[in-house]
Amino acid sequence: MAEAPGVQDKMHLTLERKIQIGFGIAVAIIVAVGAAALRSTTATVESALWVAHTLEVRRQLGATFADLITVETAVRGYVITGDTTYLGPYHAAQATVGGLLAGLRTLTGDNPAQQRRLDSLTTLVATRLERFQWTIETRRAGGPAAAARAVIGGRGKELMQLIRASIDSMEDEEGRLLAQRSATLQAKARLARLAAWSGAVIAVTLAGLAGVLVSGELSGRRRAEQIVQETQARFQQMLASSTAVLYGNTVVGETYSPSWVSENITRITGYELDEPLRPTWWIDHLHADDRARVLAEMPVLLVHDRLTTEYRFQYKDGTYHWVHDESRVLRDAAGEPVEVVGSWVDITDRRRAEEALRASEQRLRLLVGSVRDYAIYLLDATGTVVSWNPGAQQIKGYRAEEIVGQHFSRFYTPDDVAAGKPQAALQAAAAQGRFEEENWRIRKDGTRFWADVVISAVRDDRGTLVGFAKVTRDLTERKRAEDTLRRYAAQLEAANAELNAFAYSVSHDLRAPLRAIDGFSQALLEDYADRLDDAGKGHLARVRSASQRMATLIDDLLNLSRVTRSEMHIGPLDLSALASGIAEGLKKRDPARHVEFAIAPGLHAQADPGLIRVVLQNLLENAWKFTGKCSAARIELGSVPHDGRSAYFVRDNGAGFDMTYVGKLFGAFQRLHGAQEFDGTGIGLATVQRIIHRHGGRVWAEGAVGQGATFYFTL
Amino acid sequence: MNDKVILLVEDNADDEALTLRALKKNNIKNEVVVAHDGVEALDYLFGTGAFAGRSRRAVPQLVLLDLKLPRVDGLEVLRRLRADPHTHLLPVVILTSSKEERDLVSGYSLGANSYVRKPVDFGEFTEAIRQLGLYWLILNEPPPAQTT
Repeated sequence: MAEAPGVQDKMHLTLERKIQIGFGIAVAIIVAVGAAALRSTTATVESALWVAHTLEVRRQLGATFADLITVETAVRGYVITGDTTYLGPYHAAQATVGGLLAGLRTLTGDNPAQQRRLDSLTTLVATRLERFQWTIETRRAGGPAAAARAVIGGRGKELMQLIRASIDSMEDEEGRLLAQRSATLQAKARLARLAAWSGAVIAVTLAGLAGVLVSGELSGRRRAEQIVQETQARFQQMLASSTAVLYGNTVVGETYSPSWVSENITRITGYELDEPLRPTWWIDHLHADDRARVLAEMPVLLVHDRLTTEYRFQYKDGTYHWVHDESRVLRDAAGEPVEVVGSWVDITDRRRAEEALRASEQRLRLLVGSVRDYAIYLLDATGTVVSWNPGAQQIKGYRAEEIVGQHFSRFYTPDDVAAGKPQAALQAAAAQGRFEEENWRIRKDGTRFWADVVISAVRDDRGTLVGFAKVTRDLTERKRAEDTLRRYAAQLEAANAELNAFAYSVSHDLRAPLRAIDGFSQALLEDYADRLDDAGKGHLARVRSASQRMATLIDDLLNLSRVTRSEMHIGPLDLSALASGIAEGLKKRDPARHVEFAIAPGLHAQADPGLIRVVLQNLLENAWKFTGKCSAARIELGSVPHDGRSAYFVRDNGAGFDMTYVGKLFGAFQRLHGAQEFDGTGIGLATVQRIIHRHGGRVWAEGAVGQGATFYFTL
Repeated sequence: MNDKVILLVEDNADDEALTLRALKKNNIKNEVVVAHDGVEALDYLFGTGAFAGRSRRAVPQLVLLDLKLPRVDGLEVLRRLRADPHTHLLPVVILTSSKEERDLVSGYSLGANSYVRKPVDFGEFTEAIRQLGLYWLILNEPPPAQTT
């Protein structure tokens, strides 16, 4: 990025150089073409001048010859006539010839050959003029004949021919010079035209080339500029959204002075852009506790050319943030430091997370360290112990320094080791993440303990197995208790089975003899009535009554046993309806009695309906029985709140009981009334109590002799 | 009426005597065959053992079956006679001392037609026998004789 402007400069210079060169060549060509054109023009003008010059020379030569002809004619006229008026043109021509010759001398001043010819012409003209003068003199003096002889003998014709020839040679010379000059000029003009045309072509080509070049360069440059702009925009955007602040410091000797900082500093720290450029801004906002350390680190920067440090820095709102600062030194060609550039990231959150993690690890260490009932330790992936807690020491007997580095298989019994169980346990934990078992393990002193072992595979972020966490509990005591409990349970089960068999046997076998006693007593009474007196019949009646009473006892005992043995089926139960049914039954059985039943409606409970029927049957029958001697018997069923739940009660206004003996009330075969007074086996309330206890409830009674009794129960 | 045999399966001699007495007292004069255990009962019904050669077609009118029996108990007798095509419709009344739930459930499950607990009081016992005889021998229509 930093070198881009340099490249741009180079490209710029190249372009300018190209344009300069192109223009130089074009200008040179144009100058040359101009010069050629100028030269060509000058030559044309010169040529024209030469033509005019030649024509002038020719004209004057012609005029000179014409003058001489005029003079000759005038002289002949005078000679012939003697009239002096003929001599007027002679004098006039004589005067102009001199002027013409002088003009020719000037005109041909640059040409020595023509001058020489002019010299001879002048001489010839002068000679001819002298002859004319002589002729005239002769005429004047000698008359026409002398003059005719003088003309004939005067070689006038010959002189005129010489003059003619002289003029012709001069004219020829002029013509030749004209032709020569014209040819040279034409050649020059051709060259000039050629130069102009080719110059123009080359100039146009060059101009076109230059134009193509320039436009190419310009569009390239525009593209480059666009790319630079886009890149710059991206860079700006990146910087603006970046969490890293970039900065630069100019190095002056040993000190740094801030030179620039990225704009996102405002968003991140709240400082305006000019603030970070103040010389002491940075040091001023360093946390007091970090300042000395960070400043002490600074010299490292110039030694290693880079420095990475972290410190707390105060933001605009006054809060301190942890900052990660990385800086580099840039040096010039001579190796002198010129600038420090760096980046700067807020790592407060990371710091916080790290601290939280550290605290959490610390807590965990404390926790694991304080656990004594569990052995918590780590194994590496091969099963070697790498950590040990006090619980492990307590349970297994090894101290950390004795066991760390040892293989965990030494905790297994030799049989288990031989069976490969330690390795199998690790494999299972590695495969399923967790392995749990209960088995015997060996302590340091060689004793066994019953252990609950959980092995969890420990994996790193990439899922590579790094080891195992082991939690072991000593369950020896619990195992012992469980074993004892199991034994008891088995014994209880056996006892229960025996009891069942016993009850079954009782229900079949104990009643048969009673039936025989009763039946044959009856047979005696029927078959031998005539031989028995009243006392004998009375005895037999007692035998029968006793056997029947025995049968009742047996049935009650079987009932009591049944309520203990039967399975419970807890369900919703309407106590009111159940009691009403029982009350109806009682009334039907003994319609002679008048008993008032007051059964509270809507008494509901969760209980075993069969067993609760037995309870209500017993309690209501009791109440029925013990109100037998009341004039206005009343039996009530209701509920009262008791210890946050409902206590149901059956109350009567019958015989009641003495609270002194309340403790005996619920014992089997316990009776508070004589059989003569109220019959009964003393098993009913024992049965009630057993059923209530099986429901987890309580049963109790209140009463007073002669004032009735109330039996409460909860479920 | 005399051709209608009652099979009384009862091991207890006292109960046997009392049952026969009760039948007699109620003027039930049907022939009563007494089997003293389950094996005897099955031999009688299937014409095997001591009863070898007896026709299997001559099924009794009613079986009074005790449950607690030597050798083969009453429930097993019931199970086997219900499994046999000649006897599977035979009226069987369980007449026993027990009213244990499991006996009741097993008895009815195996196809007993009735379950009567022998009362200890002989008067009640006689009454029970009277009613049984009245119902099963007179009121009740027996199943049709098996043809096979």
